[in-house]
Amino acid sequence: MKKYALILMLLFTATFLCASATALEGSFRVGPAIILISILVLFILVGLFFRAKDTTDYYAAGRGISRVGSGMAIASNWMSAASFLGMAALMYGSGYHGLAFVVGWTGGYVLLLILMAGQIRKYGKYTAPDFIGDRFYSSGLRATSAVVAILISISYCVGQFGGIGLMFKWVMGIDYTWAVIIGSSVVLAYTLISGMLGVTKNMQIQYVIIIISFLIPLFILTYKFDYFWVVPEIGYGAVVSDIVKGIPAPETANLVNSFGHDFAILPSPEYAMPWDPSTGKTFFQWIALTFSLMIGTAGLPHVIQRFYVVPKARDARWSVVWGLFFICILYWSAPVFSAFGKILSTNPEIGVLAKDAIVVYTAQLGNVNPLIVGLLAAGGVSAAFSTVSGLLVAGSSAFSHDLYFKVINPKANPKTQLMMARFATILMAIIVMCLAMLKLALIGQLVALAFSLAGCTIFPLFLLGIWWSGSNKKGAIAGLSVGLFITAISLTYFVAGKAGATLPFHEFITYWLGAWYFAWIGAPLAIITNIIVSNMTKETPLEIRKFLVEQVHS
Amino acid sequence: MEKKNDYRISFFKPTTAFSKINRNLVIILVIIWAVAIFGFQILLKVTGKPTPENSLITFEKVWSNIKDGNASPEEKIEFADAVLSVLGKSSIMAKPQKKETLNNAFSWIVYDMIAEEEKEHFKAEISAFEQLKANITTLEDNDYINVKESIIEKVAPILHLENHSLKAKLIPLELRADEMEIFTTENINNIHGIMKLYLTHNQSFLTDTIVFGFPFHYFYTAILLLVLFVILCWVYCYKIDKVHTKMGTYDKKKK
Repeated sequence: MKKYALILMLLFTATFLCASATALEGSFRVGPAIILISILVLFILVGLFFRAKDTTDYYAAGRGISRVGSGMAIASNWMSAASFLGMAALMYGSGYHGLAFVVGWTGGYVLLLILMAGQIRKYGKYTAPDFIGDRFYSSGLRATSAVVAILISISYCVGQFGGIGLMFKWVMGIDYTWAVIIGSSVVLAYTLISGMLGVTKNMQIQYVIIIISFLIPLFILTYKFDYFWVVPEIGYGAVVSDIVKGIPAPETANLVNSFGHDFAILPSPEYAMPWDPSTGKTFFQWIALTFSLMIGTAGLPHVIQRFYVVPKARDARWSVVWGLFFICILYWSAPVFSAFGKILSTNPEIGVLAKDAIVVYTAQLGNVNPLIVGLLAAGGVSAAFSTVSGLLVAGSSAFSHDLYFKVINPKANPKTQLMMARFATILMAIIVMCLAMLKLALIGQLVALAFSLAGCTIFPLFLLGIWWSGSNKKGAIAGLSVGLFITAISLTYFVAGKAGATLPFHEFITYWLGAWYFAWIGAPLAIITNIIVSNMTKETPLEIRKFLVEQVHS
Repeated sequence: MEKKNDYRISFFKPTTAFSKINRNLVIILVIIWAVAIFGFQILLKVTGKPTPENSLITFEKVWSNIKDGNASPEEKIEFADAVLSVLGKSSIMAKPQKKETLNNAFSWIVYDMIAEEEKEHFKAEISAFEQLKANITTLEDNDYINVKESIIEKVAPILHLENHSLKAKLIPLELRADEMEIFTTENINNIHGIMKLYLTHNQSFLTDTIVFGFPFHYFYTAILLLVLFVILCWVYCYKIDKVHTKMGTYDKKKK
């Protein structure tokens, strides 16, 4: 009770300390800072209260989480800075093409549920590499997949740290680099203190904060600009149509943004029309991206890992339904920000805005109360935090459990394992922090890269590992090699492009094997290779097949 | 009859009654899922036709005369209006090179329509405004606002625009003092492509039909597909639970 009173008091104080929000960036914002700090303190307190006591707690939260709770944790774990900030940014920048992210990041859950969730829980392992090493009876594959899991976590985290940096920069009015350093330190401290049990509890709280902070500005914006505000997710349909047709400047200046510009826009069908030539995006890219994101969803170690924390396979299945529903609430809402952002930022006097912060800018430009904008920014940080903590746990689990304990030092006691997990967490956070400072791409794009990597490598192994006992060690090695080869080609061209170098067939490769969607071909090739090689080599051992039949598919 | 002696699992060759039901359910759901996502996008692609905005039609009507220097005053106004309709799109701001071409075209045509004796003063005024714009710390700066209003008052009537209209408000922001006298050959060669790029859109009955205020295709992809995903997941869990209950095969709690 005292805690709630304290939070209310802090919010009340902050209302009086809020500065005007006319300038989009640059000054220290007292109100938003207090909200942000309060929320972070709350997370750490919850983390401390529910902290990990042993490795079982650390890896799988004691397997004592309910379906709805697990669904909330799945949603919170999933709703990263890419969902909270990045998705609106992508739609703001490339219109209909951005919807590929909305569809890709939700449609994958259908695959995950019907093909994997229950079976993964029944298999009963702690981590994705654990499953792969065990199913394909190979410590080499375990180690390789652990490295892949770490790479996926790092790639995914880079976008999140970028988002945290942007929000800290907005709140504190400091340089982006310092904002990343401060934000990274806080998220690292929090993950180290809490472990996964704290993380799971925190995720449920984070979900509530994320969704409330995201929805409140939408009600305000739709109400303020005279659209159907009761359900903003439907009400913004008229906003989209208005963007397409254009809104003439009103005779009287009653509807204006925070700069005093009319709520008006010239006809801009490119915002909503499919594969508009002006966006430079094509039908193929839309399809490839959607497909890659969907299979990547079903191959992400930190997502798969969430199914280990529910008591039963049935709970694992229902937790996906709840998780997807909770996720969809945010995904139905994100385009609203981009639509309002499009109109509110159309005047050239505003200049070119950082797309990844468009959610916050839109609320500011729409003259939403600075305190609510602060809550929105804190929600963005929460979204990044919840995902980063899950990713760091997945990455450090892969290192300490799958690499160190299972391959390097099988005699390590639980205390040493926990220490190694924490060491790996620190190391990963430092690497990610350095990469985030480079600002390689938009948040959503960086995260999409992790999805393609997962789709090319982990997804085929899980799919065949669960559903076909004929898939054996050699087939898995061959399939994984093909997946990694495709990944290596795509990433080489991506990095070369960023460095300003032009490699042979540069345009061809960067188009057909784009860094955000190379899994469209990588995954099918990995699966086909796995099947061919498995059929040509020695059958899967009896005990593995027996386990699959009796435990996983019984 | 369950067959366990060979211990082989294949999705397509289920060996137990439950596996068969599960396989059939998965296949049905995956087909619905795939058709709903990709089938619709293919339909959207197939039915979509490149449709020009009115501004492009106007631009193409007057462009050859503008290029040849034979344009009438009305044609010049139409040309300026068409260029302004692309300059007013926020998406062009992210493409500085393309924007530069349009700024050149707009500045040149406006300058051309200004009375000969006012040209010099007009150019100086635009130059002063550009300097002001670069140096102000707030958009509420009085000098900045005054010069801006003065330019609108001067140019909007020439272009037959109302002073308070959106396009009129863009005028001072899109004029460039050093690009008024010459419409460069490079920009002349590029402008048609740029106008076409920004003023042509893939449209069809799927994009023109309005549902709940949305263009239908947008509503379908952004809202309806997500509803479908939740329903598909719910149906799967419900059906599987029912099968387990019927067969008495619920999994026990695992520690």
